[in-house]
Amino acid sequence: MTRLVSLFLALNASAPAATDARDGAQNDSTPVPRNEPLVRWTFDGEQPGELKGKASLQPVGPQKPVYPAFPTGNPALVIDGKDGHLRLTEAGLPGTNLRFGNGDAITLEVWVNAEQLGNGSYVYLVGKGRNKNKAFSAENQNWALRLKGEGGEARPCFLFRSRAADGKENYHRWVAKEGFSPGSGWHHVAVTYQFGQPKSMASWVDGKKSAGGTWDMAGETMEPPVSDADDVLLGTGNGGGAGNTLHGALDEVAIYRELLPEVILAQRYQFSPPPPPVDAKKLPRGKVLVQVCEDGVPAKNAWPAFPPQPTETYEEDVFGIFEVPQKYVDTGIRGDRPNPYLLRAAALVTLPAGKHRLLVRGRNATHLHVDGRLLVDIGFAKADSGGHGRVAEQDKYLDLGPDFRFAPPGSQEKWVELESTGGEHLFVLEQMVGGVVGSSKKRPETGEMVVAVSLQGTETWSLLSPGERRVDYTDAGWAAYEQERRTWLTVFNTERRAKVRSQHDVYWTKRRAAAAEWLAATSEVPVPAPVAGLPAHNVVDHFLNAKMAKVSAQVAAARKDGVHFYSEVLPILEQNCFSCHQGGKAKGDLSLDSLGAALKGGESDGPAVTPGHPEKSSLLARVTSEDEDYIMPPKGSPLTKDQVAVLDRWIREGAHWPELDVDRIEVTPLAGDLAFLRRVTLDTVGVAPTLAEIEAFEKDKSADKRARVIDRLLADPRWADRWMGYWQDVLAENPNILNPTLNNTGPFRWYLHEALTDDRPMDLFVTELLRMGGSERFGGPAGFATASGNDVPMAAKGTIVSTAFLGVEMKCARCHDAPAHVSTQQDLFELAALLETKALGVPATSSVPMDKLHEGGRKPLIQITLQPGSKVEPKWPFERFVGAGIGERLAENPKNSRDVLAALISAPQNERFAQVIANRLWQQFMGRGIVEPVEDWERGKPTHPELLAWLGREFVRGGYSLKNLSRIVLNSHAYQRATDPALKSPSPLFAAPAPRRLAAEQIVDALFAAAGKAMKTEEVSLDIDGRRDLKNSISLGIPQRAWMFASTSNERDRPSLSLPRIQAVCDVLEAFGWRPARQDPASSRATDPNALQPAILGNGTVAVWLTRLSDDHGVTELVLRDQSVEQLVDQLFLRLLTRLPTAQERELYVGHLLEGYELRRVEQRPGVQGPRYPAKYVSWSNHLDAEANALRIEEEAAARRGDPPSPRLDPAWRTRMEDVLWAVLNAPEWVFAP
Amino acid sequence: MSLFNLFIPFPVPNLIPMKRRRFLQTAAAAPLAASGLRASDIVAMPKGRAEHCIFIWLGGGMAHMDTFDPKVQGDPKGSPKKAGSAYPGIDTAVPGVQVCEHLPKTARLMEHVTAVRTVNHNIINEHAIATNFVHTGRQISGNTTYPSIGSIVAHQRGAVNPNVPAYMLIGYPSPSRGPGFLGAKHGNIYLTDTVSGPAGFTRPADVTAPRVSARAQLLAPLQERVARDSLMADYEAAQREALRLAGPDFMRNFKLEQEAPDLRNAYGSEFGQRCLLARRLIQDGVRFIEVSHNLGFVNGTGWDTHNDGQEKQHLLIKDLDDALATLIADLKKHGLLDKTLIAVGTEFGRPPEFDGGGGRGHQCSTFSMILAGGGLKHCGAYGVTDDVAKKIVENPVSVPDFHATVHAALGINPSLELMDGTRPVPLTDGGKPIAALFG
Repeated sequence: MTRLVSLFLALNASAPAATDARDGAQNDSTPVPRNEPLVRWTFDGEQPGELKGKASLQPVGPQKPVYPAFPTGNPALVIDGKDGHLRLTEAGLPGTNLRFGNGDAITLEVWVNAEQLGNGSYVYLVGKGRNKNKAFSAENQNWALRLKGEGGEARPCFLFRSRAADGKENYHRWVAKEGFSPGSGWHHVAVTYQFGQPKSMASWVDGKKSAGGTWDMAGETMEPPVSDADDVLLGTGNGGGAGNTLHGALDEVAIYRELLPEVILAQRYQFSPPPPPVDAKKLPRGKVLVQVCEDGVPAKNAWPAFPPQPTETYEEDVFGIFEVPQKYVDTGIRGDRPNPYLLRAAALVTLPAGKHRLLVRGRNATHLHVDGRLLVDIGFAKADSGGHGRVAEQDKYLDLGPDFRFAPPGSQEKWVELESTGGEHLFVLEQMVGGVVGSSKKRPETGEMVVAVSLQGTETWSLLSPGERRVDYTDAGWAAYEQERRTWLTVFNTERRAKVRSQHDVYWTKRRAAAAEWLAATSEVPVPAPVAGLPAHNVVDHFLNAKMAKVSAQVAAARKDGVHFYSEVLPILEQNCFSCHQGGKAKGDLSLDSLGAALKGGESDGPAVTPGHPEKSSLLARVTSEDEDYIMPPKGSPLTKDQVAVLDRWIREGAHWPELDVDRIEVTPLAGDLAFLRRVTLDTVGVAPTLAEIEAFEKDKSADKRARVIDRLLADPRWADRWMGYWQDVLAENPNILNPTLNNTGPFRWYLHEALTDDRPMDLFVTELLRMGGSERFGGPAGFATASGNDVPMAAKGTIVSTAFLGVEMKCARCHDAPAHVSTQQDLFELAALLETKALGVPATSSVPMDKLHEGGRKPLIQITLQPGSKVEPKWPFERFVGAGIGERLAENPKNSRDVLAALISAPQNERFAQVIANRLWQQFMGRGIVEPVEDWERGKPTHPELLAWLGREFVRGGYSLKNLSRIVLNSHAYQRATDPALKSPSPLFAAPAPRRLAAEQIVDALFAAAGKAMKTEEVSLDIDGRRDLKNSISLGIPQRAWMFASTSNERDRPSLSLPRIQAVCDVLEAFGWRPARQDPASSRATDPNALQPAILGNGTVAVWLTRLSDDHGVTELVLRDQSVEQLVDQLFLRLLTRLPTAQERELYVGHLLEGYELRRVEQRPGVQGPRYPAKYVSWSNHLDAEANALRIEEEAAARRGDPPSPRLDPAWRTRMEDVLWAVLNAPEWVFAP
Repeated sequence: MSLFNLFIPFPVPNLIPMKRRRFLQTAAAAPLAASGLRASDIVAMPKGRAEHCIFIWLGGGMAHMDTFDPKVQGDPKGSPKKAGSAYPGIDTAVPGVQVCEHLPKTARLMEHVTAVRTVNHNIINEHAIATNFVHTGRQISGNTTYPSIGSIVAHQRGAVNPNVPAYMLIGYPSPSRGPGFLGAKHGNIYLTDTVSGPAGFTRPADVTAPRVSARAQLLAPLQERVARDSLMADYEAAQREALRLAGPDFMRNFKLEQEAPDLRNAYGSEFGQRCLLARRLIQDGVRFIEVSHNLGFVNGTGWDTHNDGQEKQHLLIKDLDDALATLIADLKKHGLLDKTLIAVGTEFGRPPEFDGGGGRGHQCSTFSMILAGGGLKHCGAYGVTDDVAKKIVENPVSVPDFHATVHAALGINPSLELMDGTRPVPLTDGGKPIAALFG
C-alpha cells in the first residue's frame, strides 16, 4: 500500500507548540540554543515523503507518562521489518538541500523502538542513497544512520561512501561501542559527524554519549562522501528486505546541517519508568509478595524499559531477602535463572503519621517505589576493579543509630525520609539481580536486600513489615532472622524440587516396575540357616555366621608352625608380582591371586606352584633365574635370598593358602548402649549424640530401642551432611573459589547434598549426574561435567564414573592399556564418548610416545593400542556386566547417549552396580568392604559373595534407597557388636569391628557440635563483594559443616588472599586426610596416625577456639548451671565422649575443678561501649592494596588468639576448666568410632 | 607399619622400642621396594652431594630481565614505550655474567650461583596452574594429583634428623605445595610468618608452663585407658610425639632472637627472617624448606608486576638481594653451603614490553630460575636468551629438567618411579639434570 502523506516544507512540519513542549522538558535553567533541522518528521501532522510497503502511522509513539515529553496518543511510523519505509525524493522537499560535501556537518537523530535486532545485522533508520535506484550507482550511500546488532544490543552505526578525486570509492562504517537493548521500548539515538574530519564522529543513546566507536570498514577517511540526488529513505535501505529493514517504529526523525550541541542531545531523552505492575488490591494481607521476573529483562546493566511480569512468586513476612529460593529444572536439579533477572518485593504497610527514615540496601541496582513514586534509586554496582580498589574506601560508611547494622560487604545503600500522614502505603522494592558488563556476568546474588524503617522519634531500625512480625535490623536481629529464614528456605526448596521431580514420576514408576519384574524373574539368593551359637539379628548375620563356621574349620586345619601365608608369603607376592599377575588381565595369562590360579599356571611355564614340590614350581624358577629375559620381576631388584627361602618353604609345606586371612575368630558381644549410640550417630549424621539424645535413648526401655534410634537417625536431615565428604571424594568434586584452572569442577556439592537429603534413588542419582544438566557454577550436576585445564574432560569423568558405580579402575587407560587391568584405552574413550554424546578424538597428550615405551630392553609392560588422533565412537564397553541392548530399552531418552549410559549402569540387570553401591555402604559402616578395594574389583575378590549378591538385590528391592539399605546393615548384630581393641583392621569375617578412625569431617563436625561452638569462619569466597565475573569467582557460603570447605586456593601466596579462619579448620581436616583439592577421585583415605593430627588438635588454632570458654561456647553454659562439680564432670563426659567418666577420671577432674568452683560465677557489670565502626574487609576488589595485606595479617592473628573468654567466669577457675576441656577433647578416643 | 612416618616413607618394624626421641621414626636403610619405589630402568644420572634444599618461591612471576637476565634498558614511560630491562646491569664475580643493579650483594657471590636463564613452559594466563606446574613438574591430568617437589624430596630422603619434619613451608599452604598421591604424611608443616610459628606446634600464648603440665596430667588417664598395641595406642603414641615437638627441642628453632642482631639486620625484612629461619631449620635437620617471598605490600603487587607494580619493583629486588646474599654467605660461614641447595623458583617470567600502566605482563617462553650452593659447579649463568630475553638461543631447560637438576643435586635419581596405588609415576616427567653443573 502506498499512501501520499503530504508535500510540505520542513519549516512548517513541526508545529511550534509541539517543539516548545519538547524543549520545555529540557533543563529550564540553562538557556538552550535553538537549532533548526533541515527536516523533521514527527508523524503527528502532515509530513514530507510517501509511505511504501508495510509502513503505517499509528498512535504508538513515545508518550506520557513513561516519556513525559510526548502527548498521549503520539503517532509514530511503524515498520513491519520486511520492506516498509517512508521515501522522500529531492523533489518532495523543494528548497531543502539534503546533500553533504566535505567540511559539512551532519546530525541525524531519531526516536526508535527496535523490537528485534539479531546480532550481526544492520537495519536502516534514515539514509540517503544506496537504494538500488537504477538512476544511480548501486553503492551511492550519501549517508545513513543504522542500528547494528552486537552483543545483544542495538548500536548506532554511521555509514557513507567516499569518492576520492581519482574516482576511487570506499565504504566507511563506524559502529558505536554502546547501544540499547532491542525490545526495551523507545530510545533516542543520534550521530554527529563532520565530513572530512573522521575524529569528529560521535553518537548518543538516550542522551548518553558513547565512549567511542570503531571505523571498522576501510578505516577513517578525509575523502568527501558521495553526494547525489538519490532519495532519502526511513526504515530501510540497500534495497530493503528483512536484513535491512527496521522491525519496530520511528518517531521524531530529524536531519541537521550542523553538529547538534551535546547539551541538547544529552537532554533529549526524557524517561520516567512506569511503576512496577503490582496490584495493591491483590496483595496478600500482612505479607510481602515476592516476584521473580525472568523475562523481559535486558542482558546488560540497565533497567527494563517496561516492568516485567513475574515468572514465580512467593511470600515473606518482612522486607528482608538474602537468598531467593532455588530454581529447579528437569528432575529437580538446580538450574540457572536468566542473568540478570528482576526481583520485586511488594506489600501494603501501615505507618503512623510522622516523618520516618527509610533505609534501602541491595547488591545491585535497586528501586523503592512508595505509593507509585520512585523514592529511592540506587545505581548499578561497580564493575570489577581488577583488585586495585582501596581498603580506605571503607573509611566512609553510613551510621544511623546506636545499634545500627553496618552494611555488609558488597552492599549498596541509601536512606530517605518519608513523611506519612498515617495509614497504609504501597511499598515496592525492586532489584536487578546479577548483571552483565560486556561479556562478564556477575553472580546472581541479592546481597542483603532490605527496606528498614526507623519511625519518627526513634533511633532503632527494624525491617519494614506489613504484618505482625517485627525484626530488629541490628546485627543480632538480622542473624536470628537469617537463621530462621534459611531453615524455612531449606524446607521450601525441598518442596519445590519434589514438585518439579514429580513431573517425571511416570517414567520412574516404570523403572520401579522394571526392577520389580527383574526381581521376580530372577532367583533369590538362598539365605543360610542360622548357626548355633552365633548371634544374629537379621539376614546379614546369617550370611556372616555361615561363613564364619566354614572358615573356622579351615583355620583349625592349618599347621601352626608352618609358613604363615598372609603375613609372610602374600607380602612378597604383592610387592613383586601383583602389579602384573593379578586381576582381570594378568601378564602371560598367569594369575597369582589365588591358589587355584597359581596351580593352573600361565601360558608358557606350566604350574607356578606345585604343592610340596618347589622344583616343579615355575614361580621359584622365575625369581631365581639369572637370565635377563627370564627373571621375575622384570624391573627392579630381584628377590632377596630370604624371600626366596620363604617361598620355597611355603611350597614345600604344601602351599597352604587359606581362603581368608584370619588367625582367630572371636565374636564380640553387642556393644553397650552408649557405645552403640555414639557409633551409629557418628555413622549416620556425622556428629556425636547430644545430651538430650543420650537421655532419650537411655530412658527408652523398649526391646527395639536400637531399631528406633536407627529409624530416627535415618530420618535426620543431617544424614546428608554425614555422607557429603564421601561422595565428594568418590566423584572428585573439586570447585575452586578463584580462577579455576586445576582440573576444577563446578560446585556440584549442592546437588549432592540435595540428592542425599531427598534420599534420591541411586539410579535416578546416576542418571542426573550423567546427564550433567542444570547449573554449572551454582550447584547443578552440570558442574560435574567441568574439568578446567583438562584436554579430555569426559575421559577424566569416565574414570570417575567407572570406579564410583562399577568398581572398574581405568585411570591408566587415560594414556595407555595397563598391564593388570582388563580395560583398554579404547574402552575408556568409548565410555568418554558416551558422556560426550559424540565421537571423541584422542589427543597426543593422552598417550605415551613409542620411544618412551621402548626405553628399557624388554617387552614394555604397557601397550598403546589406540593411536593419538584416533576417533572413538560412543559404545558401552562393559558387556561383561550387562548387554548394551538394555540401555535403549530402559532409557528415558534412548537417543541421548548419556541417558543410555545411565540406564546401562543402573539397570537392575546390571547387578554389578547394585553390588558396588552396597559394598561402598558396607565398607563405610563396617570398616572394610566385602570386596577391597571398593573402587577396583579386579584387584580383590568378595569375602562374602552370596551376602553381596543378596545386598545388591535388597538395594534394588528397596528402590535403590541408600537409607533402606543402611537400615538393614545398621540393624545387624555384626554392626552393633563391641569393638575388639586388639584388631588393627576389621576381621574379614566381621566377627568383631576394629577401632575405626573417623573421617576428617566427622572429627571436625563432632568436635564443634559437642563443644557447642560455632565455626564462625569467613565466607568461602575471595570475592565477597560480588564484583568479579562468575566464571572466575564463586562463593561456597559460610560453612556450617566440614564438607562445605574447599581449598583456600592461595596459589598466589598473597597475605591479602588468605582466609585465616577457614585455613585453621582446613588444617585440621587435612591432617586427618581430607583433600583441599580433589583433582582425582578417591574411595578411601589413609587413616594411619601421624604426629600432625594430635598436634593440630592439641595446639592448633581450632584447638584454641574449642577450649576457650568464650561467651558463645556451649560448655560455658554447662559450667554456669547449678549442679555439683561431680555432676558437671559427668555431664561433660557424656556430652563430649558419650560415656560417664571412670572413677579415676572423675576423681582427677573433680579434684582439679573443686577449688574455686563455688565462686566460679562472676557478676557481670554492664560494659562500657566504645565507639562503633564496621569491620573493614578484604575482597578481590581491593586485595592489591597494602592495607589489605595488613588487614589479613591482623585477621590471622585474631584467629589465632581466638574469642575472648567469658567475663561471666572467674579467670583462675575458667583456666582450670579449659585445661579439663582440652584434655577431654584430646582423648585418643575422640578420633575413633567406639 | 608405623605411626610416626608422617614425613618419611620407610616402615618401621613394630619391635623397635620408642626409646630415642624421634620426630617421626625412620629407618634410613629400609629397602627401596618398601618405600613404594621401583628401581626400574634406572638411567645413569649425575649424583650430587647436597643434603638439604631451600626452595625460595617468588610468587607472581619474577621479571627475569629486571633481575638475573639483564638486557639493554627499555623505557616504560616513553611514547612509544621502549621494550627492555627496567634497570642497568652490573658486573658480577663471574666475568661476563651480569645481573641488574639492584642485586649488588648477590652479584659479588655469583661464583656460588647459577642463574638458569632458559627455563620455559607454555602456561601463561593463570598463576595457579603455572605455580602448580613449576611445583609438581607436570600438567594436571584429572586422574592423579601429583606431589610437589618438596613432598617428593621428603618422600625420597626423609628428614636428615628423624626428630624434625622432612618438609616445611614458610608461606601459604596450597594444593600445589601438597603431597598429592603420596598422602598427607608427606605433606608440609607450614607457618605463614616467622613470629607465630607452625600451626600445631606453637602453644597458644595463654598456655603457660604450669598449664602445660596440668594438661598433661589431665590427659594421662584418657591416654592410659587405650588398649596396648592397638590402633588407638598408635595414635596415642603419635600424640606424645606431638606434645614433645611443641616443647623446646624443636621450637627453639623459631627463636630468631637467639641470632646476632647484625646477622638479623643483614637478612633484612620478614622475607630475610624467613631465610634465616630456614637456615636454622636446615641445621636442625629439615630436608626441604620452601620459603615464600611475595610481600605484596612492598610494591603493591609482589612479583606480579603489572601496571604500577613495576614502580617499586626495585624494592622487592633489593629485598631479595639482601636475603639471598646473606643466606649464601651465612650458609658458607656455617659450612652448609655445599650441603644446601638453594633454588629460586617462580611461575613464569615477564616480557620485555611494558603494559599500558608501565608494568609487565606474563612470559613463559623464557624465564630465569636460580640455583645456588648445593655442591654444584656454578657458572653464574646457564643458557642464553636473545637480546630482549624473549627467546631461547642456547641450552633450553624445561621445568622437568630443572626438577631433575634439583633431585640430582640432592643425590636422588630423577628417573626413579613413585607408585600412585598400582600405577608407576616417574619422579620427573622425563627431566634430565643440567649436566654442566655436575662433575
